[in-house]
Amino acid sequence: MQLLVFLLKRLGWMLITVWVVFTLSFFLMRAIPGGPLNGERVLSESVRAQLEQRYNLDDPLFVQYTTHLWNTICFDFGPSYKLQDFTVNEVLAQGFPVSAALGILGMTFALLLGMTAGVVSAVCRTSIYDFSFMLLATLGIAIPSFVLASMAIVLFVFYFQFFPAAGWGELKQIVLPAMCLGAPFAGYIARLTRTGMLEILSNDYIRTAYAKGLSTRTVILRHALRGSILPVVSYLGPACAGILTGSLVLEKIFAIPGMGSHFIEAALQRDFTLGMGALLTYTVLLYVMNTLVDLSYSIIDPRVVLE
Amino acid sequence: MIVIQCPLLISVRSNIFRRWVSKLVRKFFPLLILLALLGAVVWAVSMGTLPRADFVFNNGAEIKTMDPAQATGSPEGRVINALFEGLLRSLPAGEPDELGRIPMKPVARGMADRFTVHADGTVYRFHIREDARWTNGDPVTATDFAWSWMRFLHPETASEYNYQLFYVRGAEKFNAVQLAVGDKVEVELADRETPELFPRGTIRRGILRELILPLPTEGTAETDVADDVAAISGKAIFIVEFQTESGNTSAKETIAYAVSADGSLAGIDELKQTYTGDFPLADIQPCKHVLYDFNEVGIQVLSPQDLEVTLNSATAFFPELVAFYPLHPVHRGCVEQYGARRFTKAEHIVTNGPFRLKERRIRDRIRLIKNEQYWNAAEVELDSIDVMSIQSETTSLNMYLTGQLDWDTTPPNAMLPILKKRDDFVSTPFLASYFYRINTAKPPLNHPLVRRALNLAIDKRSIVDNVVKGGQTPADSFVPPGMNGYQGYQGSGQNVKRARELLAEAGYPNGKGLPQIEILYNTADSHRDIAEVIQQDWKKNLGINVVLRNLEWGSYLDSLQTGDYMVARSGWIGDYPDPNTFLDMFVTDGPNNQTSWGNVKYDNNIKMAKREADPAARMQLFVEAETILMEEQAIMPIYFYVSKNMVQPNIQGFYANLQDIHPLHLIKIRREGSATHDAISEDTN
Amino acid sequence: MNQTPIPTTDEQPDKSSKRMELQRLAEVMSVAQSQQGVSLWSDGWKRLKRNRVSMLSLWTLVIIVVLAIITPALPLQSPIFQDVKQRELLSPEFKTYKLGIVDYNETLALKRQTLIEMGPLDDQRAALQAEIEGLEARHPINVYWNDPGFISQAMIKFRIFIFGDYCIPSICGTDKLGRDVLSRVCWGSRVSLACGLIATLVSLLIGVSYGAISGYFGGRIDNIMMRIIDVAYSIPFIFIVIFIMSFLSAPKVRDTLNEYGINQITVFFLMIGAIYWLTMARVVRGQVLSLKNEQFVDAAKTIGTSQWGIIFKHLVPNVMGIVIVYLTLTIPAVIRFEAFLSFLGMGVQAPDISWGMLVNEGIQVITPIRIYWWMIIFSGLALALTLFSLNFLGDGVRDALDPKLKNR
Repeated sequence: MQLLVFLLKRLGWMLITVWVVFTLSFFLMRAIPGGPLNGERVLSESVRAQLEQRYNLDDPLFVQYTTHLWNTICFDFGPSYKLQDFTVNEVLAQGFPVSAALGILGMTFALLLGMTAGVVSAVCRTSIYDFSFMLLATLGIAIPSFVLASMAIVLFVFYFQFFPAAGWGELKQIVLPAMCLGAPFAGYIARLTRTGMLEILSNDYIRTAYAKGLSTRTVILRHALRGSILPVVSYLGPACAGILTGSLVLEKIFAIPGMGSHFIEAALQRDFTLGMGALLTYTVLLYVMNTLVDLSYSIIDPRVVLE
Repeated sequence: MIVIQCPLLISVRSNIFRRWVSKLVRKFFPLLILLALLGAVVWAVSMGTLPRADFVFNNGAEIKTMDPAQATGSPEGRVINALFEGLLRSLPAGEPDELGRIPMKPVARGMADRFTVHADGTVYRFHIREDARWTNGDPVTATDFAWSWMRFLHPETASEYNYQLFYVRGAEKFNAVQLAVGDKVEVELADRETPELFPRGTIRRGILRELILPLPTEGTAETDVADDVAAISGKAIFIVEFQTESGNTSAKETIAYAVSADGSLAGIDELKQTYTGDFPLADIQPCKHVLYDFNEVGIQVLSPQDLEVTLNSATAFFPELVAFYPLHPVHRGCVEQYGARRFTKAEHIVTNGPFRLKERRIRDRIRLIKNEQYWNAAEVELDSIDVMSIQSETTSLNMYLTGQLDWDTTPPNAMLPILKKRDDFVSTPFLASYFYRINTAKPPLNHPLVRRALNLAIDKRSIVDNVVKGGQTPADSFVPPGMNGYQGYQGSGQNVKRARELLAEAGYPNGKGLPQIEILYNTADSHRDIAEVIQQDWKKNLGINVVLRNLEWGSYLDSLQTGDYMVARSGWIGDYPDPNTFLDMFVTDGPNNQTSWGNVKYDNNIKMAKREADPAARMQLFVEAETILMEEQAIMPIYFYVSKNMVQPNIQGFYANLQDIHPLHLIKIRREGSATHDAISEDTN
Repeated sequence: MNQTPIPTTDEQPDKSSKRMELQRLAEVMSVAQSQQGVSLWSDGWKRLKRNRVSMLSLWTLVIIVVLAIITPALPLQSPIFQDVKQRELLSPEFKTYKLGIVDYNETLALKRQTLIEMGPLDDQRAALQAEIEGLEARHPINVYWNDPGFISQAMIKFRIFIFGDYCIPSICGTDKLGRDVLSRVCWGSRVSLACGLIATLVSLLIGVSYGAISGYFGGRIDNIMMRIIDVAYSIPFIFIVIFIMSFLSAPKVRDTLNEYGINQITVFFLMIGAIYWLTMARVVRGQVLSLKNEQFVDAAKTIGTSQWGIIFKHLVPNVMGIVIVYLTLTIPAVIRFEAFLSFLGMGVQAPDISWGMLVNEGIQVITPIRIYWWMIIFSGLALALTLFSLNFLGDGVRDALDPKLKNR
C-alpha cells in the first residue's frame, strides 16, 4: 500500500515535471531565431507557405501549443521536420535502445570497476593498491571523456587493433564506447565505495564479525559491502544524468546512432518535434531512474521511509 | 479477502513483504546487475549485425529524405542517384582535362535510350527504353515521368528545387498558381480519402471565367493574376466553367470555388462583398486546389515510350537538369498507396535505379543492394553498398584507415598535408566557391570602396596554403573556372597598399572612424580558423577593429536571411556546370542573394543570358555580369573548393570530375590481391 | 577539541561545598582562559596541514591561480597572433621569439621626431603624418591582444616595460594557426578558472539561500521548495543549455544584454552556475534542518533577531563547512562542463580561449596518421592538474572538517 501510494505520488510529480519541461522548451524553441524551414537555400514564398501549412506552423502560437501538447499526451510526437521519411516516434524507437544499451553497459562497467577498486582500496588502506587505484579514479574524474575516448581510439584501435574504430551493432564495437562512458563514473564510485567502506569497517559489528572468526572475504562481502553500498546507490541518480550527457559526446566520436546525436542535430537544425520528443524521453527516463534509486535506497536501508 | 478486514495484518504483511524483498534484492544485487548487463548486450546487438557490404562509404550527414521531389543537397543526391534513374544520366564521357578530370555529360544511358531536340532547342523528345522496369516489375513509362514531374511541380509538394523545371512551358504557372481569366484550369475537389496529397481527389478540368481577388492593399500593384499565396490559403474565389458531356450532348456548367484546407469557407465572406459581377455567389464550393491545367504544361506523353517536353526558350543546360536527381521518377502506385512519408520505407519503396533499398537505420547506415531488374544490371558489379552517415570527420577518417570505409568524403583539414601525399587521396577542383557575403545595407559596408579595400587586404593565398591546405585555389572571382569554356573575372590578389588607398579614398584613412566590423560564421573549426585569419589581416593591414560572431547553424541561417550581419561566411555548390547556377543567385532581391545588393545591368545580363542561344554570346553576358559583381564587391570570394576523397586503392571506376559526382553503379572492386590496410605503417610522416 | 567540563548547576544546600564549588569553577575558568579556544576552522586547518596530498594540491592550485592572474604580465607570446606561414604546428622548440613591439615603437618615435623637425611647409609633411597615423592605428598591441580590460592592459604595459621584446620561446609548440600553445594555455586558464569560480559562486548563492530558507521555515514551504527541486532534478539540463546557448547567441538578445553591460561570457558563467545549485540546496537544507533546533538559534530568537537574520547570520555560517567541501567538488564539475560544451562547439567563443577549447582543438589533431602531441598534452595537463588538485583538496577538507575522522 505504502509503495503504491509512493509510486502514484511520484507518477503525479512526473507528469508535472514533464509538463514543465514541455512548456519551457516549447517556448524556448520558438524564441530561438530560425525555424525548421530555414535551410541553406532560401525557400520561395509559396513553398514556405505550403510547408508551414503542412506542419501547422502557421497557426497562432497558443493553438500550436495546445495541439502539440494534446498530441504529446497521446504519445504522438508528430513528424520529424528534418528527417522527413520518419515520424519522431520512429526515430526515438530506433535511437532509444541504442542509447539505453550504451548507458546500461557504461553504468555496469562503472559499477563493477568502481566498486571493486573501492573495496580493494579500503581494505588495503594506504597500500600501493589504494594509492594507485585512487590516482586512477581521480584521473578518470579529471579527464574529460572525449579526451579519454580519442586516446583510447589511438591506443586500442590503431596501436593494439583490438576494436573497430567506430560503428554500432557488433559486441566488439560496443566495448570501447561503454568503457569510455563509464570511466568517470567508475572513478566516483570507487571513491564513494572506499569512503563508505572505511566508515563501515570501523564499526563494532565488523569487529564482532572478525571476532567470530569469519574470513576477511566473508566479512567484506557479506557485512561491510552492504553498508557501504548506500552512498553508491544514492549516487546512481545523478550518475544517470551524467551518463546521458556523456553519451552525447561518445555517440559523436564513435558514430553511434543513439538518441544523443538525434537530439543535438535536432536542436541545431531546429527540428522542433524531434527535439521535444527526445527531451521528454530523457526527462521521463531521468525521473524514473531517480524514483528507482529512492526505491532501492529504501529497500537496502530499512531506516529510510518512503514519502 | 481477509487481509483487507484487518489493518494490522496489512502492516505486518507489508513489513514481511518488505523484508522479503529487501533480502531478495540484497542477495541478488550482483545478479541483477549481471542480468541488466546481459539484457543490454542483447538489446544492443538486437538490431542485428549486417555483414560488411561490398562497398562502404561515408555520406557525411544523414539524408533528409529519399523522395527525389523533396530532396536537396549532395548526400541525398548520392543515394537517390543510386536508387532512382532519370531520363538521362550524367556519366563520365570524353577525354580527361589537364587536371585529370573526366567531364560528366548527360547521356541517354538512363531510362531514355535516345532523345532528339527540335524547334531550335525548345522541344525535347525522349524515348524510354523498352526494358526499363520498376523493382516491382512494372514497366517505366512516359506517364510515370509526366506524373512524377506533376507531383514535383505541385504546389502542395512544396519541392525546394521545383524551379529547375520552370524552363518548361507553363510549369511555373502550374506551380505558382498564376492564373488569369480564360486560362484552362484543373480543380481538385474536396473529396480526398486521406489528408495526403496523393491520391488526389476528383479532378475537373475547365476554363477560368472569373477571378475574385482581395482588394490590393496599399502599396501593392493591382493585379488580375492570382497571387500564389492568396490562392493557396483560400483568399480568392474562382468561377470555373466546365464542359460536361453526356452521350452526344454537351452542356456547360459554371461553379464558384474557393480553396480551403479543411472544407470551411470562413475567410471569404468579405471577399463576396467586393464582388460586383453577376454570378450568384450563394453557393461557393470548397475545393482543395485550383491550378493551371497540367495538360497545358509542356510535358506531353506521346506514347508509353515517348515523352515530349516543350521549353519556354532554348535552354542549353536542359539535359543536365533532366539528369539531375530531383527529376527522377517515383512510382505512382507506391506513393498513392503509402503516402508521402511512408512510401520511402524499405518495405514499401519501388525504385528504378541500379540499386534497391534493403534497410535504413537512422544516422547509421542505408543498405543498398543490387537491383536485378535494372536494365543495365549486367554492368553493375557491386552487390551491396553501405551508405554511412558519420558526422565526425576524425571518426570517419579513423574508419577509413582501419578499412571500415572504402570511400571517405570528408577528411579533416588538419590532416590534409599528410593525406595529400598518399595515392589514395583523390582531389580535384570542383564546382564550388567559398566566399564572404557582405551586407551592403550596413554602413560602412554600403561603400563599394570599403568593400574592395577589405577584399584586397585578405591574404587568400595563405588561407589556402596554410589553413585549408587541401590544394584549393584562392579565388578572385565567384564562378569557379572550368565550366563550358567560361573565362571569368580576373582579380589582382592581395594588395595591401591599394587596400589602404581605397580605404582612405572612402573617407577612412588608416581605418580612422570606421565602425567595428563583425564577421559571422557558423560553428565549425574550419570556418573559425579562416575567420580568425581574416580578422587579423584586417586588423594588421588596415588597422580596423574586427570582432567574430559564431552562431550555430540554425541561428546563422536566420541571421543571413534577415540580413542581421555585416560580413558572413558562405559557400555555394553549383547544381550543374553552368555559370548560371552561381550568378543567378545575386540578382536583385533574389532569395539567395541576402546581401541587399542589386544592380540593374547585372539583372539584365542574367535575364538575357537565359534566352541567349549562342553559347559564346551567352558566356560574354555572364562575364560582364560577374565583372559587375566583383567590382562592386558584394561578396568577397575566398577560395574555390576542391573535392577531397579518400578512396581505397582496390576501388575502380571512381572518376574525378568537376561536380564531384561519383555514380555508384560504375564502381568496381579489384579482387586480385588481398586488400590489406596497414594504416600506421603506410604513412607515419 | 579541548573539553571544558560543564559546571553543574544543581542546588547545593551546603555553604562550604558551595564555596568549594565556586573555587573549583574559578579554577576551571582560569584553565579555560589560559587555553586558546580552538575553533572548528583552525582545528580543520591544522589537520589539513598534516595531509600532505591535500597541501600539495593546495599549493598547486595557488600557483595556478596566481599564474592565471598575472598572465598578462608574464613574458609570453601573443595568445592570438597567427603566423600561419612560418610557425604553423611547430613542435616544442627553444628558439627565441621576439615580440617586435620595441622595434615598432622605435620606428614610430623616429618618424615622429622627423615630423617635428620638418618645416611646417614641407610638402612631405602630410604624407608622413598620415604614415604615422597609419602606424599608430595598426600598432601590434591591437593585434596581439584581444581587447584587454583595464587591468590587463596595465599589466601588458608593465610586461613590455620590463621584458621588452623578450618572449618565452614556444617550449610547448604552436597550434595550427601558428599561435604559441604555452601562451594560449595561460590565457585559457583565466577563462576556465573564472568560469569555475563565478559559476560556483552563483550556485553557492542560490543553493545556500534556497536550502537555508527551505530548511529553516520547514513545513509546507519546505515541502513545496523541495518538490520544485525534485522536478528540477529530472530536467535534463544539458539539453536546455543547448537551447539557451542558441537563444543567447541570437543577435537581438545579445545586443540587449550588451546594453546592460553583460557580455556573453558572463551570461555563460551565470547560466552554468544556475544549473549546479540543486545539490547544494539539498545539502544545506539537511544541515539547517538539524541545526535549527539548536540552542544558539533559540538564543538568537529570544534576543529578537529577525528570521532572515537567524538564517543568514547564524545558520548559514554554521553550514559553511559542508558547503566548502561541496564547493571543491562543484568547481571541477563546472570546468569539465565548460570543456564538454566546447566539444559541442557551444562553449567559450574565439578569440576568447578556454582549456576546454584547447583540449578540443588538441584531440582533433590526434589521428593515427599523425599525432601533434603537444596540442593535447599541455592543455590536457593543465586541465587535469587543476581538476586533480581540486578533487584531492576537496577530500582533504572533508576529512579535516569531519569530526568523526578526527583522531585517525
